[in-house]
Amino acid sequence: MGNFSILLVEDRVTIIENIKGFFSENETRPTLYSATNTIDAWSMLEGFSKLNPIPKILLIDVNRTKEEGILLLNTIRNHPDLKSILVFVITDAAQETNKAAVLKLNIAGYIPTSFQSQELYYCFSVLNDYWNMIEF
Amino acid sequence: MNQKLVNILLVEDDEVDVMNVKRAFSKNNIMNPLFVAGNGIEALEMLENQIIPLPKIIILDINMPKMNGIEFLKIMREKEKLKNISVFVMTTSNEDTDKINAYNLNVAGYILKPLSFEKFLTSVATLKNFWQLCEM
Amino acid sequence: MEKSQQDCQEELAALKKEFDDFVYIVSHDIKSPMRAIANIATWIEEDLSNGLTQDVTSNFELLKNRVNRLENMMNGLLELSRVERAELEFYCVNIPKMMSSCFDLYRNNHVEFTLDTTIVTENFITLGAKFQKVILGLLDNAVRFNDKEQIKIRVTILESDDEFTIEITDNGPGIPEEVVPKIFSIFYTVNSKDVVNTTGAGLAISCKILKLVGGKLKYTAGISNGSIFTLNWPKNIILKN
Repeated sequence: MGNFSILLVEDRVTIIENIKGFFSENETRPTLYSATNTIDAWSMLEGFSKLNPIPKILLIDVNRTKEEGILLLNTIRNHPDLKSILVFVITDAAQETNKAAVLKLNIAGYIPTSFQSQELYYCFSVLNDYWNMIEF
Repeated sequence: MNQKLVNILLVEDDEVDVMNVKRAFSKNNIMNPLFVAGNGIEALEMLENQIIPLPKIIILDINMPKMNGIEFLKIMREKEKLKNISVFVMTTSNEDTDKINAYNLNVAGYILKPLSFEKFLTSVATLKNFWQLCEM
Repeated sequence: MEKSQQDCQEELAALKKEFDDFVYIVSHDIKSPMRAIANIATWIEEDLSNGLTQDVTSNFELLKNRVNRLENMMNGLLELSRVERAELEFYCVNIPKMMSSCFDLYRNNHVEFTLDTTIVTENFITLGAKFQKVILGLLDNAVRFNDKEQIKIRVTILESDDEFTIEITDNGPGIPEEVVPKIFSIFYTVNSKDVVNTTGAGLAISCKILKLVGGKLKYTAGISNGSIFTLNWPKNIILKN
């Protein structure tokens, strides 16, 4: 609730723009940071470009980032200052190879979406309602 | 979640709060099987002795006699069979320590019980939309 | 025999612990039955929805309204007790920007704000959440208790070497002289709580914040009615512990 920031790990510019577009029309306007790969993401969490305060929410498509994404989530879960981050996996991959692996990491949600703008908007409006309801 | 209704376990000691959840579920057309445990010890017993089918979702109160929500969560996260269940805290406790402990134990959300039933209905509707978005 | 300093310290620590426990009980254990009352009232009303007379309906409304007030008062009490423990982050605040975002909150209330400032230091590092809380509380009072069609609020900010002085003047009814000493006590309201919906916790909380940061808050009557609240906020805040 209130002010919170989100770190989005995504390498497709159009998707980043779509998500940014959603939040620019939104009243609560959380701060959205984006990293195009897991290395950049890590440096924003615990490296040269460390964000302050640490984002409360991480959005990642583990089916694009593959093992590195899972490794990132594992590292986050084992880090004393980062382990409380809420992780949402948003993916358009049909195969569920990584689903079982990430569900073991106590993510807050595994969300399949096509990333088509209409579906993406619905998905983010539900997520946004949810984020505004929960306490951080 | 739309295809198959996952089981939900509510861990809550207050009778009125249990009625509250049941009523809000039925008003929101949430048909998932709902099981109730009165405290952490009871919940662990039900889960470990397979008295109830394994739930995918646990709604957890914090202030409870015998074993409180945080203690329950700690034990649960150490058990191979139970550690992956999604947990949503639903409590009156607005204490930062409770919030931090809960998120460190990777709950999917920390929700404050609102005073009015109308507001609670809205919270449950938001939860329902979120659950429908996620694959579990 | 005089108590040793250590005895006093121990006693103080014990009292603090007792107070914390008390607040915890108030906030959690008492809130549960309170919520039950509110919920059950709603259920009964829903379940009887067809056969209710006007009287019963309005009594249900009163019941829910009062439980709601009780909750707000509990939250006020809780917030007051937490002033020294919560939201203690120092961050950079841009004063003009913060002011205009506070004004924005009243966009729909047709309030005429004027901001008078000559400050040189626009950005400073402070307990940002507390600072904003005090300012917003004063603005909110100026709007909430105002009885005029056109609400006018003037904010003046002065800067000295070590503090900012912020004066908030409104064109409201002012405060009767005889009750001025009481307005900083918790739950005190000038009018009945039925007339203006408020819990009367705001000024008590602001006062406690100012004690924490080493500032001051003072009321003076306006020249033609209205109230003037003057706030002194130090540039450097040193927290004990």
